[in-house]
Amino acid sequence: MTNSQNGSSDHLLSAKDISIGYAERTVIDTLSLVVETSKVTALVGPNGSGKSTLLKALARLLSVNAGVVYLDGKAITKLPSAVVARQLAILPQGPNAPRGLTVTELVEQGRFPHVGALRMLRHQDHDAIKRALTLTNMNKFAHRSLDTLSGGERQRAWIALTLAQDTSILLLDEPTTFLDIGHQLEILDLVQQLNQERGMTIVLVLHDLNQAARYSHRMVVLNQGQIVADGIPHDVLTPPLLAEVFNVQANIVTDPASNTPICLPYAVVSQDGQPHTVES
Amino acid sequence: MIHSNVQTSKNNSIQLDDSRPFAVRRFALMLVMSGITIVMLVVLHITVGTLDFTPRQIVLALLNQAEDVVHRQVVFGLRLPRALVALVAGGMLGLAGAILQTITRNPLAEPGLMGVSSGAVLAIVLYIVFDAGGSIWDSADSGLILPFVGMVGGLIAGLTVYLLSYQRGSDPMRLVLVGVLIGGINTALISVVLLAAQDEDVQRIVRWTVGSTSGRVWVHWHTIWPIALAAIPLGLFSMSLANILQLGDSVALGLGLAIERTRFLLLCIAALLTAGAVAVVGGVGFIGLIGPHMARLMVGNDVRRLFPLSIVLTAILLIISDIVARTITIGWVGLITGLDIPDTAGLPVGAVTALLGAPFFLYLLLRGRSAL
Repeated sequence: MTNSQNGSSDHLLSAKDISIGYAERTVIDTLSLVVETSKVTALVGPNGSGKSTLLKALARLLSVNAGVVYLDGKAITKLPSAVVARQLAILPQGPNAPRGLTVTELVEQGRFPHVGALRMLRHQDHDAIKRALTLTNMNKFAHRSLDTLSGGERQRAWIALTLAQDTSILLLDEPTTFLDIGHQLEILDLVQQLNQERGMTIVLVLHDLNQAARYSHRMVVLNQGQIVADGIPHDVLTPPLLAEVFNVQANIVTDPASNTPICLPYAVVSQDGQPHTVES
Repeated sequence: MIHSNVQTSKNNSIQLDDSRPFAVRRFALMLVMSGITIVMLVVLHITVGTLDFTPRQIVLALLNQAEDVVHRQVVFGLRLPRALVALVAGGMLGLAGAILQTITRNPLAEPGLMGVSSGAVLAIVLYIVFDAGGSIWDSADSGLILPFVGMVGGLIAGLTVYLLSYQRGSDPMRLVLVGVLIGGINTALISVVLLAAQDEDVQRIVRWTVGSTSGRVWVHWHTIWPIALAAIPLGLFSMSLANILQLGDSVALGLGLAIERTRFLLLCIAALLTAGAVAVVGGVGFIGLIGPHMARLMVGNDVRRLFPLSIVLTAILLIISDIVARTITIGWVGLITGLDIPDTAGLPVGAVTALLGAPFFLYLLLRGRSAL
């Protein structure tokens, strides 16, 4: 029926030469990125590097000053917003629902791009809602009020909302922030599962470099509004890059469990002493 | 839309732990019960008054079979329209409050807060003062002029609030702040006008400011029902939009909602409801705040249940308040305080909603807190 159900993601998301700025400050500077379909892409970078801004621009939540974001070769701002919402879902950072909304009531809203303002939920909508609740393991909380849930459960409910949209592309802005380590892994495992089992294209902003390395096929490192590294985690996560972008001296070891790189920072690069290079 | 939850649980093969409140699971029943309550309250409202009638006389008069022409005049000509006006005005204020609380995501938002209510009252008060001559006493109050003036004033105030708060997009917080400011200015102007007003106008001005249903007859009913008939369905048709909007701007945008257009549409509906109600009954306070909150305590925040129940509960609140207002006359105040007040006029219903509604709401809030 839908792309995500067949497991094939043929929707292509890309940004070409986009620049974004608030007032006088340029946040994203002439950046281009082609999101690989059916892959997990992690956007990482220091605070203020523009990674969240880039994600919002990819989801047409922010308008760009220059350049174009393309969805299937068409400018995303030229497409009807509901059409975009049937192909691309975004979970913004720290979403905040009104008190007293139940999980099902929240997840039902994900059908809005399919149902519209005046129609009732149809059979396929209820199916999509049920699927989203099952995927996120939220069935048992279906009628619980959101404010009675733990942080991890609440985040899963929000992800269920985006899954009910039945899109092939999912963008997540720091989905693990404010969660304890167990709940962080739960969310990231879900991301992995959605990608592997349903072939979803996922772009997520992450703070934790090691989690990004472990859970993504591709890491895109941003610094000062530009992409400074882009590739598989093994190639991206290197001591020189960490020194240059994050100002830390770090050792890189390999995680014996997942065979992905782990960075172990041990010192801050002094701003005046050793700029941008590390001998180790 | 309302039944979607019921369907979800019916479709599910797995038995869900449905711990939702009774009012949510049996929402349709809830509405039917409220409807029956409303009918009973309207009959009670008609029964109460300075002239006593037997239930039989009331029913016969309502069915246009009155044995005495006085019965018909009092019941059908005076009491029924007043009850209906109170009912509809209450429902309109309740929906306006629910819409405003939802789109501003602010529990303090209410019809009086957005400047619309005070704008309508200000326009009416100005008209009363500046309309020279004594004709107003008999003609204007029972005519279409005052409600029309009130509507225009309220809508102008609402539009001013929206335009002043608009800066590269509308922001709910700014809307509330500007609404409070404009409301404050309007209230101050009303006070100034009140001080400058002729003695004979002061009583009327105060009644418009506080809100009153006394003397509302069929002509008022014919003013309020077309507005209600236009604005209430509009509000109900926008429920799924409001539901998305209350998830926050980013989420709503991501779901493909045109947030600016939607917010403007909902604000217009709320302004129309408020202006329509206030233009007929005056600035009745509190119920537009309390009604939606009572509804929220019962059915939570899903707008598809919150909006209809807010209408019904607020209508019930205003009817009950008006029954109280008709029972307690100002003469009672004289008896209690020992002041020499002629026992002629009923208490304005707006005074009752504030005096009784506020403590009742406080009780609900405190009880709700201990239950959590």
